[in-house]
Amino acid sequence: MCILCSQSLFVEPHWTDRKQNTGEPVATVTAGSDRERHRRRDWQHRAQILNHILSYYGLSLDNWQNRHYVLSNRKGHAEMVTDLGALWPAAAQLLGRPLDPLDPPLIEALSSDRRAREEST
Amino acid sequence: MSPEAKRPIIVVTGFLGSGKTTLLRHVLSGNAAHGTAVLVNEFGEVGLDHHLVRQLDEQTILLNNGCVCCSVRDDLVQALSSLLDQDQRGIIARIDRLIVETTGLADPAPILFTIETDPMLRHHFHVDRVIVTVDAMNGQRHLDRHAVSLKQVAVADDIIVTKTDLAPPAMVSALVSRLRTLNPTAQLTTAVLGEVAPERILAPRYSRVPSVLRTAETTVIPDGQHVGETRSVALTFKQPLDWSAFSVWLSMLLYAHGEDILRVKGLLNVGEAGPVVLNGVQHIIHAPEHLPQWPDADRRSHLVFILQGIEPKQIAQSLQAFQHLLGAPPSLNDVAW
Repeated sequence: MCILCSQSLFVEPHWTDRKQNTGEPVATVTAGSDRERHRRRDWQHRAQILNHILSYYGLSLDNWQNRHYVLSNRKGHAEMVTDLGALWPAAAQLLGRPLDPLDPPLIEALSSDRRAREEST
Repeated sequence: MSPEAKRPIIVVTGFLGSGKTTLLRHVLSGNAAHGTAVLVNEFGEVGLDHHLVRQLDEQTILLNNGCVCCSVRDDLVQALSSLLDQDQRGIIARIDRLIVETTGLADPAPILFTIETDPMLRHHFHVDRVIVTVDAMNGQRHLDRHAVSLKQVAVADDIIVTKTDLAPPAMVSALVSRLRTLNPTAQLTTAVLGEVAPERILAPRYSRVPSVLRTAETTVIPDGQHVGETRSVALTFKQPLDWSAFSVWLSMLLYAHGEDILRVKGLLNVGEAGPVVLNGVQHIIHAPEHLPQWPDADRRSHLVFILQGIEPKQIAQSLQAFQHLLGAPPSLNDVAW
């Protein structure tokens, strides 16, 4: 890990962070480049989506320098994660049970939310 | 590094006595096999006059999370590293591709996990495809009695039904029908005495989009039937998907149920110039590949899961609940639900 920016080095990127055939090597990140701008935008967008899901479980996610997420629960316990591969185990640890997209109460909560959005528009 | 820059690995698996060795013997006997290295589990059994045959002594290291699919095949790491070293030092002729033949009782998932995650190997090799041989005479029995046989079929990109000359046509067609139901995304071929065109086995596939993805059907569990069996679910999205939301959903699903998601394959419209090709086995997802253009005019997203113990409806209902995040509602192919 880099002691200046806490960026993990030589770590296998999670599949959700890997893109191929984009014309630029995955390992190349140039400050100010289009690729970096897209990455930051995707990172922030993903944080919004995750917060929508995690809020159902009483968890929240903060974006830290567009490189890490800080996951926390309502009791103030927090954990830093670098990708989705680390997020779900950390969330399960904080929650005390795994987060499951097939869980009927979660599906019902998200469906109600969707119906409410559709009715309001 | 793009897949084209890495050397393809073809994994040949199949239950005991299903004809892996006969197939290999045939495929490797011609000129098309030039530049092919072969890793076998039982040295001598292949009986090949082939100068690049090496033996594997299966050594699987179970990682701390206890998940079998995420185990490291240390023997494979050693063998591939050694071959690569000899190739790069010019001790052996250049290796253009590798074939890994597993034992009849092997779960292919740890092989994929090892090549995808090893810090050195993943930069030099990629799994081009998994070829599975199924014996026409005994295939049904193997599928009924041996979970590993089912797993091999579920993980396959290519299924070759062997010994079709020995089995009655009705038996062959019943087996083929079952295999198509179990794994609708695999290319299926029948063979006699391992006689399959060598080019069909050896030519690199890379991200060639499987056309069967677009015609795959969902197999539905009849009312009252117990879950726990292997089923497939094929979904279509007419509108582009939000890639971030989809990757959040899939990573969450794999964390909770990865061992029961035997296979996932997809061709996804994420609103870019070309589609994203998705390919995974249990917890192991290959790096999603963004193609520069679509193969044809069909711009729908297609997604196929092979599931064990999960009802197809559960997947569809979850995707429907997530649709406002995903940006598109799913539809189950050919099924009213």
